[in-house]
Amino acid sequence: MLRTLSRFASLALIATGGSALAQGVAVGESGNAVEPARFVSEVNNAGPTEAERLTLGMWVSAGNVTTYTIGNSWNDWVLWLVYDKLREPSPYVGNSQDWLATDIVQVSDDATVWDITLRDGVMWHDGTPFTAEDVAFTFEYYREGPPNRWTHHASSVPRMVGIEVLGPLTVRLTSEKPMPNFDRITAADLPIIQKAQWEGVENPREFTEIGIGTGPYRLVDYEADRFYRFEANENYWRGAPVVQHLDLVMIKDPQTMFTALKTGEIDGAARPVPPELVLEWIDDPDIEMISAPTLWGAWLDINVARAPFDDRELRRAITLAVDTAPMLERIMLGQGKPGTHSWPHVDSFWTKPDLAAPHDPATAMAILDERGYVDTDGDGMRELPDGSPLVWDLKIASNQPLFLRAAEMVGDQLAEVGLRVAVESVDPGTLSALWRTREFDLRIADITPHGIADQDMLIILYRGDAGRELVFDEQKAAIVERWLDAPTREERLAVSYELQEYQTRYPNRVMLWYPESTFAYRWDAFDNYIPSAGYGIFHKYSFLPEDARGDVADPLLGN
Amino acid sequence: MVWLRTAAAYIAVVAIALTINFALPRLAPGDPLSFLLPEDVLAEMTEAEERRVLAEFGLDRPIPVQFADYAAGVFTGDLGVSLRYGAPVMDVVMDRLPWTLLLMGWALALSSLLGTALGVMAARRRGEVRDVGTTVLVLALGSAPVFWVAMLLITLFSARLGWLPSFGAVPLMARPGSWEYVAGIAERLVLPVTALTIAQTAGVWLTARSAMAVALARDYVTVARAKGVPERAVFWRHALRNAMLPIYTNVTIGLGSLLGGALVVETVFSWPGIGQLVVAGVEARDYNLLQGVFLVATLSVVAANLLADLTYPLIDPRVRR
Repeated sequence: MLRTLSRFASLALIATGGSALAQGVAVGESGNAVEPARFVSEVNNAGPTEAERLTLGMWVSAGNVTTYTIGNSWNDWVLWLVYDKLREPSPYVGNSQDWLATDIVQVSDDATVWDITLRDGVMWHDGTPFTAEDVAFTFEYYREGPPNRWTHHASSVPRMVGIEVLGPLTVRLTSEKPMPNFDRITAADLPIIQKAQWEGVENPREFTEIGIGTGPYRLVDYEADRFYRFEANENYWRGAPVVQHLDLVMIKDPQTMFTALKTGEIDGAARPVPPELVLEWIDDPDIEMISAPTLWGAWLDINVARAPFDDRELRRAITLAVDTAPMLERIMLGQGKPGTHSWPHVDSFWTKPDLAAPHDPATAMAILDERGYVDTDGDGMRELPDGSPLVWDLKIASNQPLFLRAAEMVGDQLAEVGLRVAVESVDPGTLSALWRTREFDLRIADITPHGIADQDMLIILYRGDAGRELVFDEQKAAIVERWLDAPTREERLAVSYELQEYQTRYPNRVMLWYPESTFAYRWDAFDNYIPSAGYGIFHKYSFLPEDARGDVADPLLGN
Repeated sequence: MVWLRTAAAYIAVVAIALTINFALPRLAPGDPLSFLLPEDVLAEMTEAEERRVLAEFGLDRPIPVQFADYAAGVFTGDLGVSLRYGAPVMDVVMDRLPWTLLLMGWALALSSLLGTALGVMAARRRGEVRDVGTTVLVLALGSAPVFWVAMLLITLFSARLGWLPSFGAVPLMARPGSWEYVAGIAERLVLPVTALTIAQTAGVWLTARSAMAVALARDYVTVARAKGVPERAVFWRHALRNAMLPIYTNVTIGLGSLLGGALVVETVFSWPGIGQLVVAGVEARDYNLLQGVFLVATLSVVAANLLADLTYPLIDPRVRR
């Protein structure tokens, strides 16, 4: 009984304790902060801080570890083992520090011209020196070449119109629109690739050579979907990594991966531990767990390209009808935060701190009545304003059991205000295709930090949605245009806040919950992990010596 | 003339199968874009940009052109490039084939032997407690979802007892060809083979039991007994030889599934076989890869049927007439 109480107490602390402590964290001008990570296990053992070899389980293939074979936040940490950015750790925290760059300076008042000074003495894995030519080439390749997850930084948000090499270690970038947060977002997100390796590559998705980076690890062998072998880059400019050999093995099935961790076949599992397993392992003598901010979210996507969802008042009624608090309790066992903060991510640096999406079914019903969604046949469910039956499909991916439970709860909650939905489970590829072609009514999906914790991407999502809207939303489009033209950080943040408020009131996505991501590892193999927002604990910073880490880590409470 | 007709039939079957193999992946909703690029990137892409990405893999061309390319590739061995792996499909498939053969070969051999032995014994004691017990056990195990059986095996033999590894095919650190490497493969083979054997034994068992029961009720068995032939000889020489015909057919056709892989078991055990390629291909809508895998599966099924056709007369003299 005591043990059970202890477990629930720990979980309650995970769920609630961090937010209070986060209030005191200095965050700069945005006023919002990433919540501190928390040590979850009951006992904190003292394990080794260095290791000769470490085997980690991963579950999404990383191809040959290039920017064209890694394109999402499931596995981008693998990319960062090999590649560095101008500033690190990420665009999510707002306080990134110089990494490959030693100085990034805004040259023009309108924030369209920036000069970058690069670190001297950095070498690529093949022993050649890193120069300004590589940085200029990276921007040119991403601007002109095939699109990938990062190319928008050079091709459209905003488009770079001038890329000049001013000296061996100096580059000047000029954009067609202001980029007042270039140093905080683009520089902290864009991986720098080697000109010598990539300049002749026309189809990078068919390129199978091992990528050459400047990062702390060299990829020495791989078989996509099976394993990756990394060796420490002893000449890494920030200091040699403390783990000499890093082996990543692909284990797609989550139960198999966590069994392998328990049996000691792997030393860490690079995917969040399921909520129920957190309870089971909280006092496990072999395993330690850290709850780290991954800045993920789960949302209800409303298809604004299909009538009647172009009616923003209807969307408002839907968000008022959805109660996210019980979802968090029943589906995530309380491990996370409810979506009451709306989106972007409640812990993102760029997020307006006091956003709120209230649960108010009475107002939702009043709006529905006023818009003509009334029960005309007396069956207790509303019909469309023209009297025809109202049944919306709510689609989820078949590999997401948590979303099935969420869909059922959303269905019940919407039924309480008289709206009928039919839950349908389809394979992930099909769901993604339906999303692209806008052939759905409602959908529950997860969203990565790149989508909800990066101010530039927020605009891309808003703007992309605008392009697909059935009826163009002039008010929202005007806000987006003002954001694009804003020349200072302050103005841009203010407009972003305005957009977030508008989007919260008239959402096309209803945030359901922000999961608490708990990661598990065997402390006797390596016990020197640090959290970093958006990446969890498995990332290159955990494998760097203490003095080389700088300020890239988040606070870790209870360790 | 008969051979000509048979050859024509096989050619027609292969041609139809190849056409279906081409059409099937494309009939599924979606395309590779959703795999190649995350939603937040796709959100802003124009249709022209989407076409540009598809053009990298020739998927912007008209369907008849793609089909002609595929059909020509079947004869030349050039099945295109897998968009998931960025490598020639033939290389990817050939890399996985030995692992699937190893896994499925052992499972087929063990399930055939076990199913036949248990089935024949059950028929001999038909209606007795032992027969009923075996029936319940075999059918229960055969009906259990294979992923569940696999998870039970992992839980028991890996997590609880710690006897066997829970995933993968090779010990990563061992030098290929060394004793440690071979032993590592062997111990990683045990659980997936066991899971597949449990799942496949029931089918063979049912066939064997039924065939043996029918054979034991035949007139020639009654005559043999009436002539005073010892029961052991009646059972093994008269009944079993005749009962082996449907069992042989069953096993031969099972050979056709050897190259198709085991989707669920390979996924649960992270076994690097053809089954995992199918899953990866479906996830990515990797048409070239799926066509390549389906081609191998088609040819193996056709080859197994051909083998059955060719060898059946050797074990059943009646067919020769």
